[in-house]
Amino acid sequence: MRRPLGIILPILLLIIWEIAARSINNQFILPTLETVIPVLLSPTVDILGTGSLLHNAAVSLERVGLGFLVALAIAVPLGVGMGWWPRLDAFMDTTVQLLRPIPPLAWGPLAIAWFSVGLSSMVFIIFLGAFFPILLNTIDGVRSVKRTWIEAAETLGASERQVLGKVVLPGAAPTIWTGLRVGFGVAWMCVVAAEWLPGTTSGLGYLTLYAYNFGQMQYIIAGMITIGTIGIVFDLLFRSVENRWFSWRRLER
Amino acid sequence: MNGVRLLLIGCLAALLIAAACTTTKTTADVGILYTKGTGPMPTLLATKQIDGYIAWQPFAEVAPVAQIGKVITYSGSLPPDDRWKNHPCCVLTARTDFMGSHQAFVDDMGVATILATRYITDHPSDAADIVADWLAGKGNFTYGNISVSSVEVLDRAFPTVKFVNEPSEQWMAGQIEFVYALRELGTINGKLKNTTDDQTKALLFDTGPYNRDMAMIDAGSIVAPPVEANPIGVGYLLSDHHASLFVAVKKWQYFNDTYGIALKPEDPAATRPDLVDLLVKGKKIATLKLIPADAGPQLMQLAATNTIQMAYVGNPPAISAIDQGTPLKILMALNNEGSGVVVITSSPATDWNSFVQWAKERSAAGNPIKMAAPGKGSIQDVMLRYALEESGLSVKEVQA
Repeated sequence: MRRPLGIILPILLLIIWEIAARSINNQFILPTLETVIPVLLSPTVDILGTGSLLHNAAVSLERVGLGFLVALAIAVPLGVGMGWWPRLDAFMDTTVQLLRPIPPLAWGPLAIAWFSVGLSSMVFIIFLGAFFPILLNTIDGVRSVKRTWIEAAETLGASERQVLGKVVLPGAAPTIWTGLRVGFGVAWMCVVAAEWLPGTTSGLGYLTLYAYNFGQMQYIIAGMITIGTIGIVFDLLFRSVENRWFSWRRLER
Repeated sequence: MNGVRLLLIGCLAALLIAAACTTTKTTADVGILYTKGTGPMPTLLATKQIDGYIAWQPFAEVAPVAQIGKVITYSGSLPPDDRWKNHPCCVLTARTDFMGSHQAFVDDMGVATILATRYITDHPSDAADIVADWLAGKGNFTYGNISVSSVEVLDRAFPTVKFVNEPSEQWMAGQIEFVYALRELGTINGKLKNTTDDQTKALLFDTGPYNRDMAMIDAGSIVAPPVEANPIGVGYLLSDHHASLFVAVKKWQYFNDTYGIALKPEDPAATRPDLVDLLVKGKKIATLKLIPADAGPQLMQLAATNTIQMAYVGNPPAISAIDQGTPLKILMALNNEGSGVVVITSSPATDWNSFVQWAKERSAAGNPIKMAAPGKGSIQDVMLRYALEESGLSVKEVQA
């Protein structure tokens, strides 16, 4: 019942979109579906010399994937440490809270100066987007592991390393996984900001912004829809893993 | 309690109304809005948030093609009479430390640029084609039911740009005029703040490369620089002003065969190559990383951090960078003129004089027109301000 109900609003929105676009009759405010759909239906055709939708999607995904992996590699160990050792947490927390509210885009000028134009500065921006959700969820996950499980393991003579590896990490895994899901979502949203940096010549974000120069709204909207669709697909992937591996958490509660 | 609340709400409403009144009542005859590049201009015009804009090509042509506006004048004809004829526009720049260590390389980049400019002068329609390919993959621009080939747009824009390289005395004097304009705008407050014209000239220009380039071209022999292992960063703007770079890259085979110097794209299929090799007499000298940007100030930040060593850029960003202490010199011109003033389709203006008339009427009616310019102190901003003030209109920076 939920699926059919969920599909009604998007269809309604499409109809409203088309009616609105026709009555406004100004493609800069809202282009008609007829100009946007052909762009989406021909994802292998070059757009303004920037490459096809598919090509640009692949380029963006590669950048986001890299930034996400770097964030994962740093945020998970750090988060486990901060969740487990209160002194590390006390040492790091102020800094984390200070840096966390800064939008990744604001780092653009420094990213270019530090990492030079190109892939590494974009990966840095995306990394910043993914880093904090992963870190905070990891800390939270580690802290929420039941004391009874840890105490039981310790009573049975487990070393700290064993407790961390065999009890804390698996116990925190569902929350960490949620952090990864949220982190990937934010990283994917940062792709537009990252591809706004000078020196970029490809990617969905770049394509969208480049089309702006020529007032090509149909490409902008097609780019937005592609970004949204890919975002949903990855979110569903993360959720399906969550349901398969971590459904025990719901039982536990 | 209720009375107090009502009083508070009343005061707030009065404040809001007062604020609204003061923002609509402006003393300026024309408002200027800065859009950080050309990107937002067509959209702002199509949604009537601005009444016109001044932009570099080909973005002035976007308005007539999309049927949202018309070009009333090109920058070379702006008042005062003949003041902006052949006005300097974009320039080739290099970091001074890089010129010290890579003089032969910088010279050869100049040669490639000069030869490409000659090609543009001799084959303008071929060059316009190349620019349409570089900027839009020769694709179509679609506006609702209207679809126009980018080649056609570039064909319209190209004749309004004058491609020249010589750093003549007259051209330098034109550049120094921009220094004065930027001082007036308050955007110059460093090295160039109080310099005499001779000092300004010494700080801005190095014509050595151009003179050596012409000698090499006349002698028909290009000196090969030593092979460079590290890639060299070269910035540029996505505008037909920088056609000489696009032509040098896309026509590399021709330049290689004819002159023995070429900028060969590493991926010949790319419409907008980002890696090109400098070939001299068929031998690879260096890899260039071509870095496009939306506006000059971005490129100058890259030059300041030594991310790029050379840049094709507008003269005001170069002047500002030198003023702020970036070790940079202007080597030669790339183009003169090449910007256009656009007004909304519904405007009665058809040329500059009727535009001024319209602006005065709108100002008298308490609804001054709002024009967009790419950035404060950009060539377009400076020229529009001068022209408006010359025509008896005052100018004020406004927010959207």
